[in-house]
Amino acid sequence: MLIGNNLSRRSVIGAGLAGAGILALGGCGSNEHKAAPKKGGSIRVATQAASTADTLDPAKGSLSTDYVRHFMLYNGLTCIEDESLIPRPSLAKTIESADRITWHFELQRGVRFHDGSELTSEDVVYSLLRHKDPAVASKMATIASQFAEIRADGRYGVVLRLTGANADLPTIMAQPHFLIVRAGQSSPDGTGTGPFRLAKFQAGVRTEVIRNEEYWIPGRPHLERVELIAIPDEVSRVNALLSGDIQLCNAINPRSTRRVEVDPAYAVMATPSALFTDLVMRQDQLPTGNADFVQAVKLMIDRPLIKRALFRNYATIANDQPIAPFQPYFNPDVPQTVLDLDKARWHVQRAGLSGVRLPVFASTAAEGSVDMASILQEYGSKVGLNFAVNRVPADGYWSTHWMRHPMSFGNCNPRPTADLIFSLFFDSKADWNESGWKNERFDRLLIEARGEADEARRGELYGEMQRIVHDKCGVAIPVFISLIDGYDRRLKGLRPVPLGAFMGYRFAEYVWWED
Amino acid sequence: MSAPEKPQSSLAKLVPLIGKRVLSSLLTLFLVSLVIFTVSGLLPGDAAQELLGQSATPEQVASLRHEMGLDRPAHVRYVDWLGGIVRGNAGMSYVANMPVGQIISNRLPNSLTLAGITAVISTVIALTIGISSAINRGGKLDSMLNITTLSLVAMPEFLIATLGVLVFSVKLLWLPSIALVTPDASWGQMLRSMALPVFSLTCVVVAQMARMTRAAVADQLDRPYVEMAKLKGVPFSRIVLFHVMPNAVGPVVNAMALSLSYLMGGAIIVETIFNFPGLASLMVNAVTSRDMPLLQSCAMIFCATYLALMLVADIVAILANPRLRA
Amino acid sequence: MTGKLTSFLRNLPASGRIGLTLVVFWLAIALAGPSLAPYSVGAFVDQDVFSGASSRFWLGSDYLGRDVLSRVLWGSRYTVFLALGAAILAVCIGTSFALLAAIRGGWTDEVISRAMDTFISIPSKIFALVLVAAFGSSLPLLLLIATLTYVPGNFRIARALAMNLVALDFVQVARARGEGPVHIALREVLPNMIHPLLADTGLRFVFVVLLLSGLSFLGLGVQPPHADLGSLVRENISGITEGALAIIVPALAIATLTVGANLLIDALKPGGKA
Repeated sequence: MLIGNNLSRRSVIGAGLAGAGILALGGCGSNEHKAAPKKGGSIRVATQAASTADTLDPAKGSLSTDYVRHFMLYNGLTCIEDESLIPRPSLAKTIESADRITWHFELQRGVRFHDGSELTSEDVVYSLLRHKDPAVASKMATIASQFAEIRADGRYGVVLRLTGANADLPTIMAQPHFLIVRAGQSSPDGTGTGPFRLAKFQAGVRTEVIRNEEYWIPGRPHLERVELIAIPDEVSRVNALLSGDIQLCNAINPRSTRRVEVDPAYAVMATPSALFTDLVMRQDQLPTGNADFVQAVKLMIDRPLIKRALFRNYATIANDQPIAPFQPYFNPDVPQTVLDLDKARWHVQRAGLSGVRLPVFASTAAEGSVDMASILQEYGSKVGLNFAVNRVPADGYWSTHWMRHPMSFGNCNPRPTADLIFSLFFDSKADWNESGWKNERFDRLLIEARGEADEARRGELYGEMQRIVHDKCGVAIPVFISLIDGYDRRLKGLRPVPLGAFMGYRFAEYVWWED
Repeated sequence: MSAPEKPQSSLAKLVPLIGKRVLSSLLTLFLVSLVIFTVSGLLPGDAAQELLGQSATPEQVASLRHEMGLDRPAHVRYVDWLGGIVRGNAGMSYVANMPVGQIISNRLPNSLTLAGITAVISTVIALTIGISSAINRGGKLDSMLNITTLSLVAMPEFLIATLGVLVFSVKLLWLPSIALVTPDASWGQMLRSMALPVFSLTCVVVAQMARMTRAAVADQLDRPYVEMAKLKGVPFSRIVLFHVMPNAVGPVVNAMALSLSYLMGGAIIVETIFNFPGLASLMVNAVTSRDMPLLQSCAMIFCATYLALMLVADIVAILANPRLRA
Repeated sequence: MTGKLTSFLRNLPASGRIGLTLVVFWLAIALAGPSLAPYSVGAFVDQDVFSGASSRFWLGSDYLGRDVLSRVLWGSRYTVFLALGAAILAVCIGTSFALLAAIRGGWTDEVISRAMDTFISIPSKIFALVLVAAFGSSLPLLLLIATLTYVPGNFRIARALAMNLVALDFVQVARARGEGPVHIALREVLPNMIHPLLADTGLRFVFVVLLLSGLSFLGLGVQPPHADLGSLVRENISGITEGALAIIVPALAIATLTVGANLLIDALKPGGKA
């Protein structure tokens, strides 16, 4: 299996998509826009969260602010730059693998770090090996445990051997955590190969970058300067946009879109994404472990109400499984669960749970969960279940409440592949197997699909896994939430990339400013 | 209110007072650090867990905990911190990988500037309102000012701030909606971006100060000596400024000191809405990231500020009031 | 009793009467409101959101299409009772410590005073944040936070009052008579400071109402689907540009409640009428 200019598995395997070779050799440089982008301009961008834990170390990135900052300063071996989610070559010119276990990366020549030194295989080996060092505290340590061996193969070649077959490695390498830093920097200081150089960095307050004049992809970036700040309060963020203090921001509440859109100078960009907030029902505790209870809860979720009232239709109705209709491998044959209070009541009675009182833990940490819990409580009272909403602070939610009670809410960011989402959240051995369910058939299918070369077969496997999760898993997923960015209309070239807000956090390299 | 030629006796009185206060302040600071340490020990999770976040595996947490020294017993960590602070070393932040002193020195000037400007403006307004309504006790002006100050306190802080932004930033485009405090900003820029936060905070504190002033001044105006001075033909403005105010200054300065100390630590809502990089939001950040050394230092600063302001208020009251001075 | 009440009302200045009316009104709402609510507090009754006043929804609907009137009726119960409870508790605790400090004096006074300084100098909202993160939000905890926040303030005032009284002759006489400290505190000192203390209770009540709305901004209010008045303003804040009733009504409720309480206190204060 050789992947050249186009890294998609499908381009090699599925004949129809094998449009390789059309792409320029410039790496991540396929989609140039018709109108010639203008050079120059300085913008201020606001994300929704920052803290003193803000970092210049890609391995430690945990907030959208970190991802945006890291993508401005560093490059990855691959990158994802459009809604197809197909990984494209970036610092790696080619990626080859015969068995999807041992991978060979050939690096771009002549790429320079901001300090002038040349990118070599040594930097790549160092950057990838860091994730296995517990002292680094990498967010991708679990994924990195699949790396069996990483070594240099000459000045520009890197060999990565996995513990098992994984056809998705090119996609994994496009994750913000796997960006390439300078060899030897135990705490990276922003010296990368990326489109911008670091000018100022103050954790929790601001990041300022200026254009890297010697960027290795010619003609980019267009902006002269980007200032990145965080405005955690949503109302303040929207106000800042509307008063011209910032030119781009993310995480706009669906209820605020009307405010942005009435002003002709501003617009919102909705990115349909696989982001979801889910209700977790622990299978190893009672009464949530009761199959009838789980069924009853899934039947009493008023998905259209959640979509309409909570998200003002900036959402896609989901079906208690994590693959969204617009994603590859989505299985349309799984029947959609709809609100049916009579059936729900029947299940509650069959489980002998009428009148039982159950706390549901919700928090602003899991977007929309507090209101979802209120809705659940209201409908629960109609079928004989007495839910008590327990709103807890976002502070400490993930470590103390999430998955720790029979019923709590989780929140899952979009992941680039079906394999990642299934292995991180649904594998029975996964740390985040939220509901603690165990399904041997599912686990077997997961391993099989990960190494499967035949695309059609892979689709079938993922299709069946979706059905199993929908029928058996103790997780209820009401809707997929669209990401909403707000921007000044003079900012051009933005387009949705379903991985995250801000064009999958990578806007800075592509957008330009027109006065 | 400065008193250039004070008789020796008042200064001689002040020195032991200050000495005693400084000593008892040390006791209070110690108590605060103890309370903060105990209460924050009740928080679920620790810095290692919060830093690794949702994705933490138990091994990672354990290794990071060891690296941070969090696996030592609580009292050892406390004594360690206390030893550091006594030697003037606030320690390293668990999370930001920087000395606490450096983080705070980035933020402290912001908070001081915000509190300072607000204090000056609200003091002027409060004194004006308080004195004019005290002079016109029972009159039209008095009830009008009374209603104004009352309606200011009656609105939640965040609503005042939000309305301010909607009117002055979004609608009129006069002022920035967020405080963009950069070290290299000019004074003009800084004042502009501080305008709305100062406006909101002034609304919060001015009412209480004005009402205290009115009460204290009104109380003095009813005293016989005022009547006497009037009969002697002393101009009324002179009576208010030179006879009434020195006597009323105690409670007024006290109320101001309390408001000022509120401006340092209590500005969390205004800091959130205007994205103002001040100390209160830093402290909240320290709570959420379980950054003990940073949290402790913030608490120490707030406590020291409060105690210092109280001391200053007392000294001013003594120096200004001839009867206390004697 | 009735005669006393009418004469009290007659002596009250106009502003005091307005204050009294407002306070009584909100007390009545807090007591009876929930049973008058046309809908359940969490019911999603309106397809539209932020709708205006209509015959079905007298005060329109909120950001999720719930009935604003019902939510405000419930919300005022939480706000009024929490604030009243916390104010009374704070004054009782603060004054007890103040009496102890003033009568015992010396080390007792020093230690209590320093302990109070400790609490007053920790920013209350951050303290609340820590407590809620540690114990989870509940009504008793909110009551505790609001109480703790205002104990030191009351202590300062009560201690100053008591100190002045303790120095007076009649207390010295009682001491010489050999009366115990409890007798002195409750019989000699307390009755002479009851008026300023009542006024202080009213003031604390107003402060607690505002503190609660501040806490709701930080997401620390009453558990949903219920909400106190401050939380109602906060959760509907996105409707502010449309001038939604969902935000105006609870904001007005807070305003009238606090202004009413303030007017009443002013009228009760000696010299307030002057």
